[in-house]
Amino acid sequence: MRPTTYAQNLHDLGVLKSEGFEEVILEHRSFSRFGQLSDEAFIEMATRAKELGLRVLLEWDILMTQTVFSQKVKAVSGFLNLVDAVRVQDPGALEWMLTNTTKPLQFIAENGNHNLSALTGWIEHAQGRMERIVLSIELSKATIQTYLKEISIPCELLGLGRILLFYTPRSLLSALTPLKSPVNQEFSAVAESEESPHKGFPVVENQHGTFMFHIKEFSLLEYARELEQMGMGFLRLDLRWQGARFVPPVCALVRNFEQQRYDVFKQEYPQDLMRGFYLVNKTDVLFPKLKNTRLQKREGDYAGEVLEAVKGSHLAIMVKNSRGLRRCDRLKILHPEGKTFEVDIFSLRNLALEEVDTVPAQQLALIPFVGGVWSKSQVFYLG
Amino acid sequence: MKIAQYPEILAPAGSLEKLKVAVLYGANAVYVGGQKFGLRTAAENFTLDELSEGVSFAHARGAKVYVVLNSFLHDKDLSDLPDFVTFLESIKVDAVIVSDLGVLRTVREFSALSVHVSTQASTLNVEAAKLWKKMGASRIVLGREVSIKEAGQIRREAEIEIEMFVHGSMCMAYSGHCVISNFTQGRDSNRGGCAHSCRFEYSLDQGLATEEKKKAYFMSSKDLQGLRVLEDFIKEGIDSLKIEGRMKSHLYAGTMSKVYSETLNFYHAYGHFLSEDMLYWEEELSKVSHRSYTEASLTHKPGADSIFNEREIDKTDEWNMVGTVIEASPANGIVLEVRNAFNQGDELEFLPFKGRAIKVRALEIMDLGMSPILRTKPTTIVRLPYAQGVSQQMLIRKRAKQV
Repeated sequence: MRPTTYAQNLHDLGVLKSEGFEEVILEHRSFSRFGQLSDEAFIEMATRAKELGLRVLLEWDILMTQTVFSQKVKAVSGFLNLVDAVRVQDPGALEWMLTNTTKPLQFIAENGNHNLSALTGWIEHAQGRMERIVLSIELSKATIQTYLKEISIPCELLGLGRILLFYTPRSLLSALTPLKSPVNQEFSAVAESEESPHKGFPVVENQHGTFMFHIKEFSLLEYARELEQMGMGFLRLDLRWQGARFVPPVCALVRNFEQQRYDVFKQEYPQDLMRGFYLVNKTDVLFPKLKNTRLQKREGDYAGEVLEAVKGSHLAIMVKNSRGLRRCDRLKILHPEGKTFEVDIFSLRNLALEEVDTVPAQQLALIPFVGGVWSKSQVFYLG
Repeated sequence: MKIAQYPEILAPAGSLEKLKVAVLYGANAVYVGGQKFGLRTAAENFTLDELSEGVSFAHARGAKVYVVLNSFLHDKDLSDLPDFVTFLESIKVDAVIVSDLGVLRTVREFSALSVHVSTQASTLNVEAAKLWKKMGASRIVLGREVSIKEAGQIRREAEIEIEMFVHGSMCMAYSGHCVISNFTQGRDSNRGGCAHSCRFEYSLDQGLATEEKKKAYFMSSKDLQGLRVLEDFIKEGIDSLKIEGRMKSHLYAGTMSKVYSETLNFYHAYGHFLSEDMLYWEEELSKVSHRSYTEASLTHKPGADSIFNEREIDKTDEWNMVGTVIEASPANGIVLEVRNAFNQGDELEFLPFKGRAIKVRALEIMDLGMSPILRTKPTTIVRLPYAQGVSQQMLIRKRAKQV
């Protein structure tokens, strides 16, 4: 497993070289969400990186509407001869690169792509041009382990860095600033809400939009060895926000993890760290509680719904089964709170209040009131 | 690619009842969710029987049914998908809406169903549309960041059907690219657990010593409303106009379907929108709970005025849905299911499936047993005297403050 990371200036490149990196991710301000490098700076950085023997990767990870896309594809061509591979996230960028260039590609599949079929689908689509796929940090260890056995190209995972929660092309911070902002000015803020227990979300606005991050950074440093044994190809160490001074201690931990040194590192590191869903992803376990399943049980022997319950008088049932409701039918009524009632229909009236033998579907049937039954109760046939 | 004559109006249907409402009020197509695989876990959604009934109901009236499978599914979620897809094909749904490549591949493997790529996939440009077309998609629901003009270009150059949102609540983030709920509330927003954290008020500290923390709903978007730019959609050949809101009310589903379909019908008849009826339709849209409206990205890059920097308030205080007509006949009168109470003497508006509202003053209200009552209660059934033009399944509303 090899480490990979970003460089923002020439000094960073020197640090990476001395720490044994074989590649560097460069961010041009036009193509990268958080890129700072101008044309000249990018060329200088790419050239210097190559002199140092580093493989140069261009991060083209912005999402682009057609107008922006048209501008970017014209501009990106001028940089392709400087880089060894291009990292893309917008499927349009992937397709354009596949169709119009011969550069090796790295696909950032960090957003969604939580199943093997999707990941292999992207790889197959690239027909051998994809040299790496970047996995989502929402995947659990067990899932990653499975994928690494199945995926035919090297995979990359974030090992340390910010967790991006939200990305919009709209300018949300400058909108709150009364003074007009110069073009390309960056804004940053820290956000907290009384409706969330988490305080201190970093927010950044730049020319590409507005981004909000988690209050903690993601770290799998303590699992680096495990990931290597599982067959992870690349571990990304994203120190763009905290600076290259942390590269040496982080690399030391990746090479040879020691809990004590990690504890010291965590003390010095400016952000708290979390491992996210690495051990287990249970982000769907709350779903059954989001709705009353007793109101949902409408399969099979479903007869209809109680629309009105008048004590001492009647239950009005909207008949929803093509079989209709018949005198002598035996019913089970399921209360929204879970209680059930069994009743035999011995009296059945229609809307004209006439005693009838049958009430057809999509009409209202009146049966004698049953104590404890409310409107919204669901009605089923018994037998 | 041949220009679609007029876009279809695609309405949300969170339940079988809402499907019927949307279709009756003029929607050309509806999108619905089963009990799994969609993004509205808390919505009522459809059982298999209801899906079957919904498709029959819609098809009998010339409307199409699309089923959402637009979660970013995990491997374990995919295991039940083939059976569901096979079922959907057997009942002849018109298409499924997916956002995940794994889901798309599964649908393609187990059925010949048409596949629409969801807005969740944030398809924003020609090349992305071409890619999804190669993957087997027949339609792209574009990201809400795309303008109508850009959409037209995507349609022409990628040669694929294009669907755009025309109305409703909007994610501020690129759809499918927001995981706030996942990491702060343990609920996967892209599998139906969105906690709407973008609607919260936040204190923003910009680090300026002289500045107090700003409080703002800075991530909350105003609601989309595209009535005034319908002609642009038509001219760019957009195939389908989608109304957001499977979680929203029957009144919403009915009003939106009615307003947008009637507006397009007007254009179909006259070839323009130069009519005072536009004001009427806009007013109709205002009678349903909504945030302030914006055209968002439809024509221009959205600015500061697209942010809904206000507390979320249910604005149904101006107009309430009173209920639904269960039956209307001279013999039995108007029998209606009451959802919100009204009083004797209130003016009710019955929404016909076509044309302007029928105003009826509730001078005489009776319960089902024919006893007179002065004030109705929610979840009851009452009778009113028969009124010409009122028919079964019509929605009823009233102004909250009656004069």
